[in-house]
Amino acid sequence: MRSVSDAIIERTSMPPMQADNPEHAAELLARIASEKSRAAFAELFRHFAPRLQAYATRQFGNEQTAMDLVQETMANVWHKAHLFKADRGSAATWIFTIARNIRFDFLRKNKHRQHDLSADDLWPILAEENESLDDDYALDNDLLMQQLAVYTESLPKAQRIVIQLIYIEGKSQQEVADALDIPLGTVKSRTRLALQKLKELIQHHD
Amino acid sequence: MIKFHPSEQHLVHYMLGELSPAMLMMVGSHIDLCPHCQHHLRDVEEQFAMKIFGQRQMPLPDLDEETMLNAIFQSTSAPVVPILEMRDYLNLEGKRFKLPATLARNGERIGPWSRMLGKMWRAPIEIGSGETLNFIYMEQGAQVPEHTHRGSEATLVVNGVFNDEVDEYRDGDFVLLDGHHKHTPQTHHHDCLTLATIDAPMQFTSGLSRLLNPFSSLFLK
Repeated sequence: MRSVSDAIIERTSMPPMQADNPEHAAELLARIASEKSRAAFAELFRHFAPRLQAYATRQFGNEQTAMDLVQETMANVWHKAHLFKADRGSAATWIFTIARNIRFDFLRKNKHRQHDLSADDLWPILAEENESLDDDYALDNDLLMQQLAVYTESLPKAQRIVIQLIYIEGKSQQEVADALDIPLGTVKSRTRLALQKLKELIQHHD
Repeated sequence: MIKFHPSEQHLVHYMLGELSPAMLMMVGSHIDLCPHCQHHLRDVEEQFAMKIFGQRQMPLPDLDEETMLNAIFQSTSAPVVPILEMRDYLNLEGKRFKLPATLARNGERIGPWSRMLGKMWRAPIEIGSGETLNFIYMEQGAQVPEHTHRGSEATLVVNGVFNDEVDEYRDGDFVLLDGHHKHTPQTHHHDCLTLATIDAPMQFTSGLSRLLNPFSSLFLK
């Protein structure tokens, strides 16, 4: 049993910024995404993992399965932090939805596949996206495919390669980053610049 | 403007993945079409995340932080979930329907169209759960004789308009009927593409499979 004084000591000894502060948690995710900061991840982990474990233990009634869920969820947070979009919701919600997906797939496997739907089919939160396609640089996909070949030729070589890998070979941005051995952020910015340029070209010719 | 939405309980169960696979597809497709429910879903997710993560939690005894952290740092990147193959459109008789994202992501599950009696078509969606989930297409001026349902029937209007005695249903409307409802769905000047599922009790599956298809039960012999 925790005593009241323990709780007070704990509270007063907290550092000012906690991972339960939404802005701070989002910032930690951004640091994991941009610089693979282990310190940022450890801080996030210390906040989220025990709570996730308590939740998963209640859900599964099995401590080993609960631990597996915590580990798999947090591993995805570590590897996929670049997919977190701060404008679409809080870090806590994002982490919860990852855990939800993993739980869904666990349950499906444990029940020997009573259906074929995977969590990714329903909630594609961990799918790599061409994010440039859903922001201001969005282009109609059909239009893009028709005119891409022509206009792509006029792009700077570095941008052209990225565009070809993504739109012609169908690679994800992460795969392009791995293939070219450049940071994901660079792939994203090249994609964004290239699409912006293409959009200008297409609009100019319309 | 969408008039008919899933209940709050449906949204919560969808958010947790605790509906049947067919209903997950139905509710997910409605949400794709409905900004109101998208917003509501985000609220529900946010609240639920708060419930799990917002409270104080002592470190649990058997969570070995250092070991798990190291395991995570040393793990290779989880397999990349590729950009999903999207089937953006569904074609029938020269018509082209834009699919909600949930259905577009599951496009490879959509089976071929077959013509039912009258002015109606059906294409199954294979989700491997033993449930019946179908696209039902009604041409203009189609009518289904009055019928009731065993179990409950959920219908989502993907595109178009249909009526019954009670109301008119348009793009995005989500209608849940149980065995107490009697209705006569029909189209007038518009055609209508719907997604429909019926959850007949499992013990009826083999003998009464003709009852499984929402509108078709009265036609298929």
